[in-house]
Order: sequence, then C-alpha cells, then structure tokens
Amino acid sequence: MANIAAQRIKREFKEVIKSEEVAKCAIKVELLNDSYTELKGEIAGPPDTPYEGGNFVLEIKVPETYPFNPPKVRFITKIWHPNISSVTGAICLDILKDQWAAAMTLRTVLLSLQALLSAAEPDDPQDAVVARQYKENLEMFQLTARHWTNVYAGGPHVNSDCDEKIKRLVDMGIEDHQARAALSSYNWDLERATEQLFS
Amino acid sequence: MDSTTESVKKEAAGSGNNNSESKDENKKDDQMFECNICLDTARDAVVSMCGHLFCWPCLHQWLETRPNRQVCPVCKAAISKDKVVPLYGRGSTKQEDPREKVPPRPAGQRTEPEPGTSFPGFGFGDNGFHMSFGIGAFPLGFFTSTLNFGDSRPSAAPRGTQQHMEEQFLSKIFLWLAIIFIAWLMMA
Ligand SMILES: [Zn+2]
Ligand SMILES: [Zn+2]
Repeated sequence: MANIAAQRIKREFKEVIKSEEVAKCAIKVELLNDSYTELKGEIAGPPDTPYEGGNFVLEIKVPETYPFNPPKVRFITKIWHPNISSVTGAICLDILKDQWAAAMTLRTVLLSLQALLSAAEPDDPQDAVVARQYKENLEMFQLTARHWTNVYAGGPHVNSDCDEKIKRLVDMGIEDHQARAALSSYNWDLERATEQLFS
Repeated sequence: MDSTTESVKKEAAGSGNNNSESKDENKKDDQMFECNICLDTARDAVVSMCGHLFCWPCLHQWLETRPNRQVCPVCKAAISKDKVVPLYGRGSTKQEDPREKVPPRPAGQRTEPEPGTSFPGFGFGDNGFHMSFGIGAFPLGFFTSTLNFGDSRPSAAPRGTQQHMEEQFLSKIFLWLAIIFIAWLMMA
C-alpha cells in the first residue's frame, strides 16, 4: 500500500476514535489488518427511522490511491433501503463515487451513510424493488425496513405477523432469508411470494 | 541541544507556568497548518482561492486524479493549478525533498504597486517607459528608455509566468513602435 494511504488511515483512525460521535455510540471503526487496507465500520440506525435501535456493520476497503479515490464500502448487515442492495449490500451514494473529495475521511463517510439512512433517495436507487415499494407504499416500506432491522441489526421492534408468514414458508422448505426477501418484495402477500418461490 | 530547544519552546509558549495548556495550544496551532489531504503538516504549502491549505504534491495529485473535475477537496469550489498561492514562511528557502514527478510549485505573482504619477491613459508608470516626446534629445532619449525598459524595473517577473510573458510582449511592441517611428522620421 502506498505510504500516504496508510499514513492517512492511521491519522484518521485517531480522529474517529476521539470524535464525539463515538462517545454517543453512533459510529465506530475497527482495524481488520495491520496494513490499514481493511476496516470494519459500524453505524447506529438514526432515531425516528425504521433503522432506529439497529446496529449496521460495514465492510471498508481502502484502495492504494486513497484519499485521492474513495474507500470501497458496503453493508455487511442486511438492510432494506432504496439506495442499498438488499442482496449484496452495495451502496449507491454520490460521495463514494464521483462526488468524492480528498479531504473527506472515514468519519465523514460513516456520517453520510447514517444520513442516507435518514433520508433515502428513491429516484437514484440501488435496489429497484425497494425503491418502488418506498414510492408506492411508504407504510409497507417502513414496516419491512423495521422488520429487517429487528432480524439482522438487533432492532427492538418484533413484527409477529411477518414472523408468522416467514414460518409458513420455512415449513414448506424455503430458507429463512429467502422467504423474508420474497415476502418483502411482494408487500408481505403470502400467496404471491409462494407463487414466485415455487415457479 | 535538546534542552535548548525545550527552553525555546517554553519561551515561545509564553510564561510557561502551565505545561499541558501550552501543549494543547501548540497542537491547535499545528492543526491550523495541516494539509487537508494528507492531514500532516503541509510541506511546499499552497492555498487555494477559497482559502484551503494543501501540500503542493498532494493537491497536484488530486488535480491529476480528476482532470475533468477540478474542485477544492474541502469545499468543492472550482480550482486550478494557476490559481493557487504558494505560502513562503520564514526559512522556507531550502527546498526539501522536491519530488521528481511533481512539477515545481507555481510561483507567486508579484503585482507592482500603483504608480503615484502616471499619464492618464497609460498605465506603464514611472519606473518603466517614459513617453518622452520632447523635441530636443528626442530620438536618443526615446531609444535609451526603450532599451532600458527591462532593467529599470525593480524586479523582473520569473520566467514562464503570466507577468513575464506580458512584459516580453510589451517590450516587443515598443521595439516595433520605435522602429516604425524612426522609419517614419527618415521618410519625412
Ligand atoms: Zn499533504
Ligand atoms: Zn476550498
């Protein structure tokens, strides 16, 4: 790794650790190797969103050309959000692409992701299915996102209706996450989800 | 040697009755002069027109990374190589570690102060070219002032800068004017 990238991460690392957001348990960064190329990020779901109470883990890969090019970030924790792939965790966020600026840091990236959880941009979607649900049935979207937060990110809101429907599909031999993804995509319509899974 | 620098630092920090406080202050001062890209103390420092500080090698690499989108890495204002101002601190004359790949830092641009007595309509001022259209020693006076044009200025702009080019251009124009004038005199 180029020296400047490692030096930068070392300095930033101190900044993130010291910053006040950490004290409030809102963001966190952990080193995964000695060469400062792979890190684990964590953000808390923002209050007054379906993600509240959840803890979302991120994979951060620092390229050799950092900070002249952005870090590569994706969600490891499964999440239901128009700008994040519900399958791969890939993120659609301008500052991680062409709007990156060399003065930005891991701290600003994590805070921007937290802001993205508060304010989705369904017109610039990463996950078309989620984005359509967000635009056509906001209540259904919020219910689904809250359920995913509960199951995958440790959120507090249990939805027994969702759990019941998933159990029905699991009993038919469908894998738990597959059942959840199908039901989520079809607005928790058990019949249509079953149809799609067995077609 | 160490003790000397220590005492100098203490003096610089004031009376030095509270060590931790002065240390914090030093730290703040240091951060003021950190490059916004590498987050280290800026070397070969330059400042953008929007006022953001960078190492010249860092800023150069940023501009090279995105040639089509040249924006300030901090505030995203439009920037360009020609519009950064180098910072020359005291004792910055020694050129440390000039990277081979990086072009030399852009030079500072000196603009001459407004002249006190200048001909209306001519902005050349009194240290450059006098429009001496006196009858007496006219051709000679004309020539000497033309030939002395470059030397009579307190400082020539560095080669390659905008100002340098302009001066070259101006002096060429006056040379041609002089030649035409003399040709006209001979024909008359
Ligand atoms: Zn720098
Ligand atoms: Zn700026």
